[in-house]
Amino acid sequence: MSGEETRAAGEGPGRLRKPLFRRLAIAVPHRLVHLLRRARIVRAGRGRATVERSGAPRKRGSSLSDYVFGAVILFLFAPLMVLFIYSFNASKGGSWTGFSLVWYEKLFLGSDELWRAFGNSLAIALGSALGATALGTLAAVGTQRYAFWYRPYVAAMSFVPMIMPEIVVGVSLLVFFAGVGLKLGMLTVWIAHTTFNIPFVYLLVSARLEESDPSIVEAARDLGATETQTLFKVILPMAVPGIASGFLTAVTLSLEDFVITFFVSGPGSTTLPLYIYSAIRFGVSPVINALSAVMVAGTVLLVYPLRSFLKSFAAR
Amino acid sequence: MKSRLRGAALFAACAIALCIGGCARKSGEAAAQKKLYIFNWTYYTPDSVIEKFKKEYGVELVYDSFASNEEMFAKLKAGGSDYDIVFPSADYVSIMIKEGMLAEIDKSKLMNLKNVDPAVLARAEEYDPGMKYALPYYMGAAGVAVNKTKVKGYEPSWSIFRRKDLAGKMTMLDDMREVMGDALAALGKSVNSVDAGDLAAAGKLVNESWKPNLLKFDAEAFAKGFAAGEFWVAQGYAESIFAEYEEARRSEVDFFIPKEGGPLYIDSMVILKGSKNKELALKFMDFIHRPEIYAEFCDAFGFPATCNVPARPLKKGPQWYKAEDLAPCELKKDLGADLEKYNAIWQEIRVGK
Amino acid sequence: MKRNYGGLYAAPQALWLSLFFAAPLAIIVAYSFMKKGLYGGVEPEASLDAYRALANPTLLLVAFRTLWVSLAATAATILVALPCGYSIARSRNQSLGLFLVIVPFWTNFLVRIYAWIAILGNEGFLNDFLRLAGLVGEPLQFLYNQGAVILVLVYMYLPYAILPLFSTIDKFDFTLLEAARDLGASRLEAIVKVLLPNIRGGLVTAVLFTFIPIFGAYAVPLLVGGKDSYMLGNVIADQVTKTRNWPLASAISMTVTFLTAVAAMLFALRSRRKAVHVEIDAGVEATAATRAAS
Repeated sequence: MSGEETRAAGEGPGRLRKPLFRRLAIAVPHRLVHLLRRARIVRAGRGRATVERSGAPRKRGSSLSDYVFGAVILFLFAPLMVLFIYSFNASKGGSWTGFSLVWYEKLFLGSDELWRAFGNSLAIALGSALGATALGTLAAVGTQRYAFWYRPYVAAMSFVPMIMPEIVVGVSLLVFFAGVGLKLGMLTVWIAHTTFNIPFVYLLVSARLEESDPSIVEAARDLGATETQTLFKVILPMAVPGIASGFLTAVTLSLEDFVITFFVSGPGSTTLPLYIYSAIRFGVSPVINALSAVMVAGTVLLVYPLRSFLKSFAAR
Repeated sequence: MKSRLRGAALFAACAIALCIGGCARKSGEAAAQKKLYIFNWTYYTPDSVIEKFKKEYGVELVYDSFASNEEMFAKLKAGGSDYDIVFPSADYVSIMIKEGMLAEIDKSKLMNLKNVDPAVLARAEEYDPGMKYALPYYMGAAGVAVNKTKVKGYEPSWSIFRRKDLAGKMTMLDDMREVMGDALAALGKSVNSVDAGDLAAAGKLVNESWKPNLLKFDAEAFAKGFAAGEFWVAQGYAESIFAEYEEARRSEVDFFIPKEGGPLYIDSMVILKGSKNKELALKFMDFIHRPEIYAEFCDAFGFPATCNVPARPLKKGPQWYKAEDLAPCELKKDLGADLEKYNAIWQEIRVGK
Repeated sequence: MKRNYGGLYAAPQALWLSLFFAAPLAIIVAYSFMKKGLYGGVEPEASLDAYRALANPTLLLVAFRTLWVSLAATAATILVALPCGYSIARSRNQSLGLFLVIVPFWTNFLVRIYAWIAILGNEGFLNDFLRLAGLVGEPLQFLYNQGAVILVLVYMYLPYAILPLFSTIDKFDFTLLEAARDLGASRLEAIVKVLLPNIRGGLVTAVLFTFIPIFGAYAVPLLVGGKDSYMLGNVIADQVTKTRNWPLASAISMTVTFLTAVAAMLFALRSRRKAVHVEIDAGVEATAATRAAS
């Protein structure tokens, strides 16, 4: 793992309880490295791929970087493993008291409020991602293909929102909504999320268009395609990987947002992060752990079919 | 390329369908039932009580939460006032009265008002004269939790934070009014003091005698850290601490309200001016003060039944401190512009080395 | 001569952002020049109080602390991300590698921070492991200090550094490295003198996308930091949520935003413009969740 700072030992005895599951938790990572290697994620690439690309086989592989990457994967997944384990803990606290599915039962049978928050989050995430994707994509097409008087403004507007501290964006929107007399609720949350999602979609789609061959578009126009035809038959299909990554990014962002949502949400528009923030402070966390485990599994199922997007996004 | 586009379109279509489905479900619910909107502290009314209320009155209830009075106030002030009932602390009740945000309570509709402890109502006179706007919900104070397996030989006093042998094992709340109030109480001053000399002395006490022994100021995760054995002494709220403990290990914890006292809070139920369900809101407030319901609420958190007298004998569960322990504590009041004086000293404490 | 539809395409977004970003922001900028309201908000009275309060020495202390923590965390992130980007780029299963890097970010960031607390605690997994292995007798204090803050920050922003680095390294012509080696350069020399200059765009993007969000970090220092881990992000949030000083919150934000924007532009300009542009897509994916995590 990467540099854990070790500090002077804290004083005090500290009981030595070494439950079996913790030993297991320690053994699992070793196994994972092994599996990663067999799956050729870690070590692959030394052989054929290298030859193809560089034209000459390398004598000594980049073993060091592969090991670092393996360690980083462990590092990234370490907290997920912890909460996966805790989600099966019979008791609430940090100490292991036995295997149990009680938190999953509670999650699926007795957590109406949580699922309502989850539903709100999903609706907002998909809705705002759609809105942002539509607006961002159009603007990207426009600024990519044409020069017009307010183009610098559009470009600047896609940069500043990333730097602004979230709490300031949240407060400013709150003040704004209050000023124009818009009641806080799902609508204001949707507006806020769409707003902070737009720049990301815009930049992703612009970047994608930038790399596309402009002569194809020219050819389409020369062959008599109208602007609409060119847009839907040539430009948008070319931009699909960018649009898809933009959409997914927007969904992720929206699902995670806490600070801005807190300020612009109204009665009944509690989203999942807001719910988690409340619940986690009062020892309800095992249910959250179970939810996280379910969500990671769900994510894998959802994202795996979309990996071709990732790949095309990566391959450029 | 084409199939990929189709895939994306399909995904988008599903997404839209989901959204519309979600919205449709929501509006359907609204049409069917009356809805009561509550804005309360994080997890402050047990689910079982809410369920009972919903069942008895056949209504929907939406419970949104906030983590500090300031956040709650900022939102309501800006216009998120579709809520019916809010649970501000005493100082914010008086602010909200001043700002004209509250609706008067029709006391004749509160059958259970007779159950509310007159001693509490007397204290409430300070922020809501004549009980026009607010019905007390719970009176309590932050205290100190001690891990008895690790710490021996202490007395229930703020002086525990002076103990150098516990350095690096103690936390206090990341809360200006609480910590400054504790220091003022430890010095025998009022927790609402705005005297520059008092405040300077309190700041000095925190900075020089307490802070060097503290691991951190924490208002978010003190309970988790305490339960995990990270902190041996933690200033905080009893209900948060014990929520992290399973039954069997609770005897390891001692929770006390320091004998010098400290800031006392009374969280109240108020009805917002814009509420469209004032009748139902009053019913909810009255419902809370039914003895058996109040006892159920207090049992859920290990609270003593501080505000409701007939509920006291009905309590079944344990309580982490006694109502009498709160006697030396003093109600925290709104300080208006004098809050600035606290800010300056608190920033020194929080930011400095 | 084709018609110019550019303004038409960009109009919806420009309108939306003007209405829901620029207008609210203008209000906040105006706030920084007003007097603070007693209970939050502002009094409609011009004042430079907020900007005068910026000269406060304790605030400068926080600013410097934030700067060094951000620099240290960014440096560590880049150092770790470089070999990862390299490894994925040379792997045959690139998409799986990327997938593994992104997946942890679909779990709520608070939940992940709490999981780190469970790992690093005195009776946590790491200390158990060390004791089990007989490496330490007493538990080590990992949590509640700057080290813990930096470690968890690195964790939070690592993927956003890996993505842009990966996509530049992927386009790098590795024969250049071979050539350098053949000409007598050591491995390290070849990497520093040949590889790094060629992936400068990716490096710049990676640095920007880690440094900017880390500089505004809020939750991480609050939860895993100690009493000396208070950062600028915390100061800004506390002005709104605790001390009710909105003008000061907006004055600090304006200053930070201005300085960051200038620094980011200067930094980006130093590297070739084109390179930055090519990489920006990967980096943007990265910035995505940074907001959520910060």
